[in-house]
Amino acid sequence: MNFELSQDHKVLKDSVRDFVVNEIKPLAMQIDEEHMIPDDLVRKMGEMGFLGSYLPEEYGGAGLDMLSYAIVVEEVSKACGSSGVLISAHTSLACGPIYTFGTEEQKKKWLPDLNTGKVIGCFLLTEPDAGSDAGAIATTYKRDGDHFVINGSKIFITNGGYKGTGVLFATSDKNLKHKGVSAFIIDLQSPGVEILKNEKKLGIRGSYTTAFALDSVRIPVENLLGQEGQGFKIAMDTLNGGRIGIASQALGIAEGAFDLALAYSKERKQFGHPICELQAIQFKLADMYAKIETSKLMTYKAACLKDSKKNYTMESAMCKMLASEAATFVTKEAIQIHGGYGFIVDYEVERMYRDAKITEIYEGTNEVQRVVVSKLLLS
Amino acid sequence: MKILVCIKQVPDMESRFKLNSEGTWYDESDLAFRMNEYDEYAVEQAVQLKEQLGGEPEITVLSIGPDRVVEALKKALAMGADRAVHVKDDKYYQKDPWQVASVIAGHAAGQGYDLVFTGMQSQDRGSAQVGVTVAELLGFGCATTLVGFTYDAGVIMAKRELEGGSKGVIKLKLPAVVTCQLGLNTPRYPTLPNIMKAKKKEIVVQAVSELLKEAEVTGTGGMYPPAKRGGGIVIEGEVNDQLDKLMRILKEKTTVLRAA
Repeated sequence: MNFELSQDHKVLKDSVRDFVVNEIKPLAMQIDEEHMIPDDLVRKMGEMGFLGSYLPEEYGGAGLDMLSYAIVVEEVSKACGSSGVLISAHTSLACGPIYTFGTEEQKKKWLPDLNTGKVIGCFLLTEPDAGSDAGAIATTYKRDGDHFVINGSKIFITNGGYKGTGVLFATSDKNLKHKGVSAFIIDLQSPGVEILKNEKKLGIRGSYTTAFALDSVRIPVENLLGQEGQGFKIAMDTLNGGRIGIASQALGIAEGAFDLALAYSKERKQFGHPICELQAIQFKLADMYAKIETSKLMTYKAACLKDSKKNYTMESAMCKMLASEAATFVTKEAIQIHGGYGFIVDYEVERMYRDAKITEIYEGTNEVQRVVVSKLLLS
Repeated sequence: MKILVCIKQVPDMESRFKLNSEGTWYDESDLAFRMNEYDEYAVEQAVQLKEQLGGEPEITVLSIGPDRVVEALKKALAMGADRAVHVKDDKYYQKDPWQVASVIAGHAAGQGYDLVFTGMQSQDRGSAQVGVTVAELLGFGCATTLVGFTYDAGVIMAKRELEGGSKGVIKLKLPAVVTCQLGLNTPRYPTLPNIMKAKKKEIVVQAVSELLKEAEVTGTGGMYPPAKRGGGIVIEGEVNDQLDKLMRILKEKTTVLRAA
């Protein structure tokens, strides 16, 4: 057993870190305040290959592995959780299912623009009345000649505001529950796709969280992803891999906050000494670091299992659980270590605390992750 | 054209350094390593020249050291170098600059390199001797401390940094060695696709014993951290007393009040 990154992964980590420190970190506060990631940064991340890291080179990806992807999302999220989830949702939830379930023609048509970041991808599953219960979606599709006609609405769509390419889920008959669900590749510039709003949120404010109305949207039949009725399986499989991305994002947020808290504890003097000399602070740092390292081990393990084509369902659920709870814990303690300053916008841990919370919720709430883990334990 | 870029892997300068047990170098455990910053400019300039010449030149990047230096070589490959040479040497820190230069020259002999790029100095040892000594051993021309580089038809125009902010421009014919100063260019980030491509590039491993023919001419006598600075002096009391004390300290301990 070897817990060290390979030399290739170290080179990758260092290169991503250099980019993040110079190009993303200086913008993180602006991204939060302006509720958007500058187009120029999205373009640069595309050029760096961040938006197609583990997809094969023949489809415009970088051809690296899942562990590399986890490292990219982690490093980016250390500086900016919004940019981290842009990469994660785009790669895991749009490029991922098209690559895994798409035909050769579909992959050739859609992946190169996605993998190079020319088009941003999203995943349209959630609806007002169908969150964790994804089989209950009410958006419908009906065949009409060479097209499927889609009607319904979608909410909480990460990256939706870019109106790029989506993987959309709709049902032929709501009464069939999950058996009626099919998946489609949708060009969100199509007529009938309307953005109702981009939500205002507690955290990850630079990331679009979009509500769509879909009014008689016509999708060519060749855009059906997988077989009719296979949609629920595609959604679950996709989210399974996506959890590694969210775990990496949460891990990055936690590490970013920890680094700031550690540095601050050495600088801040009270009672004539740096506060890191107080045991109350030392114990916080130890707890924070232990949670970070635990999450990192599990996240990297899940990624490595996926890379070696082994079953990783349990580990991806656990890493998402562990890392997101580490993120909320660590960011909260990071503010506590900063004292009053931590409550002030300028000290960044305030943003990280807000950014962390969503990681316990999206791509399967932590309650759902516990269902996944316990089901596997008891099956 | 054949280009050689000599790079070194050095500890991250943010690290906390401890001395090794012999007190002659730093203890490498717990340190993170990265490419010597000056050498990043050297790699970038070589890649820019390759691009300028339509991709014709072949860039070989060389590093001496233990297995970890392969990380620096891989980074250079991902930045655009074509092949790498790893001169394997676990005791690299016991070699003096003369030996290091002779190892590089030993590799370069007969390889037909036209141009050698390297950093002006390493961030850890900082001797700034290796580049110029390589030039001497190979019989190449040499320009140091480059802050500007252009190339046209076999001639290099090198802008050099001089004392006090002035610059000098010199012309240099190939074959040549140039050493690069910070700010020469903007080193590119290795992109993910290029990191992937770099995995397929050749890394030749050579044992240092095959190349080292020279004995050391200088040896490390010792290495020690700077003395810990004291906490300063707090002058207390009435203002006039404070002033008297301050004057006394300035007179006794400093030169600021002494007549010229």
